Amino acid sequence: MTETISAEGAARRRYDAIIVGAGWAGSALAKRLGAQGWHVLVLEAGNGGTETWPGYLDSLSTYYAAVAKVPNSAYRRNKAAPYPDVLDLAPVRDPEPGRPEFTANGYFVQNGRLPYGTDYLRELGGAAMHWLGAVPRMLPDDFATGTVYGYGRDWPFTAEELQPWYAEAERELGVAGNAEEQKDLGVVTDSAYQYPMHHIPQSYLDERCRTLDGTTVNDSVADEDYALKMYGLPQARNSTPNPAYPAPYRIQGAVGIPNYGERCVGNASCVPICPVQAKSHPLRLQAAWPGTVTLATRCVVTRVRKGRDAYVSGVEYRTYTDPASPVSRSYVAEADVVILAAHAIENARLLLFSELATGSGQVGRNLMDHPTILNWALTPEAKGPIGPFRGPGHTSGWEVFRSGFGRSERAPFRIEIGNWGWGWATGAPLSNVATALGLGGTPDGSVRDKGVYGPELRRLLGSSIGRQLQLQIAVEQSADENNRVTIDPARYRDAMGNPRPILTYDLDEHVRKGLYAARLVARQIFGFLEATDYTDHAPRDGVPPLGHFVHSGTHLAYSGAGHGAGTHIMGDDETTSVVDRDQRTHDHPNLYAVGCGSMPSVGTSNPTLTMMALALRSAAEIHKDLTAARRPARLRTPQHEEVPA
Amino acid sequence: MTVPAAAKGEPADVPDELAEFVRYCVPLTGFAAFDLHATGMARLYLDTARHQVGEKRFTTFWTAWKQAVAQHKGPQDLSPVHQEVARALIYLWYTGAWPRLAPAAHAALRREVANAESVASPSAYVEGLVWRTFHGHPAGAKPPGFGTWAVQPPAPQSVEQLRTGLGLADVPYRTGLTDEVSPDEIPGRLLPGPRISRHIPPSAVPTADAAGTPEESTA
Repeated sequence: MTETISAEGAARRRYDAIIVGAGWAGSALAKRLGAQGWHVLVLEAGNGGTETWPGYLDSLSTYYAAVAKVPNSAYRRNKAAPYPDVLDLAPVRDPEPGRPEFTANGYFVQNGRLPYGTDYLRELGGAAMHWLGAVPRMLPDDFATGTVYGYGRDWPFTAEELQPWYAEAERELGVAGNAEEQKDLGVVTDSAYQYPMHHIPQSYLDERCRTLDGTTVNDSVADEDYALKMYGLPQARNSTPNPAYPAPYRIQGAVGIPNYGERCVGNASCVPICPVQAKSHPLRLQAAWPGTVTLATRCVVTRVRKGRDAYVSGVEYRTYTDPASPVSRSYVAEADVVILAAHAIENARLLLFSELATGSGQVGRNLMDHPTILNWALTPEAKGPIGPFRGPGHTSGWEVFRSGFGRSERAPFRIEIGNWGWGWATGAPLSNVATALGLGGTPDGSVRDKGVYGPELRRLLGSSIGRQLQLQIAVEQSADENNRVTIDPARYRDAMGNPRPILTYDLDEHVRKGLYAARLVARQIFGFLEATDYTDHAPRDGVPPLGHFVHSGTHLAYSGAGHGAGTHIMGDDETTSVVDRDQRTHDHPNLYAVGCGSMPSVGTSNPTLTMMALALRSAAEIHKDLTAARRPARLRTPQHEEVPA
Repeated sequence: MTVPAAAKGEPADVPDELAEFVRYCVPLTGFAAFDLHATGMARLYLDTARHQVGEKRFTTFWTAWKQAVAQHKGPQDLSPVHQEVARALIYLWYTGAWPRLAPAAHAALRREVANAESVASPSAYVEGLVWRTFHGHPAGAKPPGFGTWAVQPPAPQSVEQLRTGLGLADVPYRTGLTDEVSPDEIPGRLLPGPRISRHIPPSAVPTADAAGTPEESTA
């Protein structure tokens, strides 16, 4: 484990690189740069503690005791380093037409037409502490949607250029997957490629869904037919080492306790927390940091400092002792390179407050997510239970709607076959108990007269929970300048005095059509499975669900996927993008902004893998920068140069 | 309805009060005394129910429930307020959390605590019975092992099998269900509907509309 120091200790030295944020990207960069001998300071705004086993068990206990087991439920709120939570949003009763149907009462100020329903976490390890661990690569055409399909932004390079970095990222993350399937899908182009671990077993439900392979589904929005074919999901989750993997791969288990978590045991709680740490997280990378890397937690970076010319000189940060009532002091740390790796929205907030990288006017713009529509149904009793609430959150999906010319008509989508029943949509299985009992009263507050008890209750729940099928369908959202993060320090600051992000968010017609098409496709799939569709996105007693909108006369609603992206997107043209292809800001040669914020498009892939590939690629560039800066001055004249032996 | 004899499935050294509590929770939950004791939660749940309902009012409820059992009746025959308390107690056993009550029951009980759902303790969540109804395990605990999710779980037991196992087989009527409900046509009122925002606790999720309710907007 690396050296952890106090805020004051961190301020006393000069570093080669300062990394803001100890999530996936920051941890990977620190590991790479540290291994090359560079002195790296990592500043994490949130608390540490989970790198010890007792600290981790405390998080697990916090999750057990939470009424709403949302992604952040294993962590306590932190006023000094606040973060958004899905619990911050509430719907509005009887909204006026044309007015927002929600209120936001947390860290984010939201003034858009629709809610940005995505959270993140400011803790050691970042939001990766609650991620699912889904790591599909992006499709080749995802990198050029503007050219190929006429919407969104193109990347400055191709998927092919990213292939070796994807492979590197899969090694660092520890990925279990079926390489042959991914080659068939076209996202792995090296025909010899293997994943470090054998694929995670697919669920019984997946096997039932596989019977639909070859079935034709009509997408009436794109006016195209698609043949279903199920694919397994590559996951950053421990399974069995793959002997065909070219380099020896040693599985990494839990941090803080030896010989534990070396294989997934099916706790079925990857989000919010894997109790055995078989799900990969950044604390693993941190455990492998060399002695050249220094970590300071509870250090909230307030701004990046300008140096001479276009260069930056370091960062200003504040520390705190009590997260509930922060009293802080300001410090300065200096370095040759500053790397922002604090989450797309936090990076944008820091750049805006520091008034840096302003050249293109694009900082904070092009905020993205994967708006996700939930569909839920009961499979027929005669075929027996499907085994919900078991295994990883999802182990397979239908990929065919992710590519093809349907994308010109509507946003593409990826259908996740959910292994956790109606949990996300309805709060099952606990809400099943309440509704079967008739708890909670009628809308007017009186006690309900009907309910089921005893053996009948047990039987009813066994049947009605055991057959729960949920398809969560994540839709691509492309870059739109009007979806943005801004700040207004005069009006909105957090308890430590840092500006709160102000979000303006909406879904364009292309995305709405994608969500609508996804809903229609799910209906057909339920029909093929003889499942009874209970999907319901209509307002209830005048209260619309969060993310509600009407499209083609149909009530729809979306949830956030936790895939915050955009805000400092990359490009070759400094007038239209914030960072270059190496994630270096166009305006400041020694300031990098890394993470999902750099992505010009997110395709239909969970973005962490692509983000990690970019981070590892940037680590190589930063190493070159630092090497160039430290090249000793040439003192001899050319004619006396020695000839190498 | 009858309760199983005290000797059946009862561990030694259990105080009478607790033994009785568990015995009369058998017909409420549909789980045997053995299973209820095995959760290790009986003391916590009795204390939680007393605290939530109020010592005096809980005693009144408990007396009424014992009387109902003696007269071969079920929770549906209790007064509305007592029926809601019975539901809350079952919810506690099934989920480890005390639920939000119908506001009318909350008012009638003159409760001194907020009418909000709360988890009795971290270990109570882990001991929830609901997971066992479908051969599952609590999310985040009691993991069944690598790859187990690839196997189809057994079908739930029939009501007759459950009753026989509980020693309640000879009871002639249904507990709460007046009519036979086909598993393929479960009425919406017995299923959860959409949770329109994430801060809604599980006990306050509205019931589902009938399946296939039109999603078309009239607006």
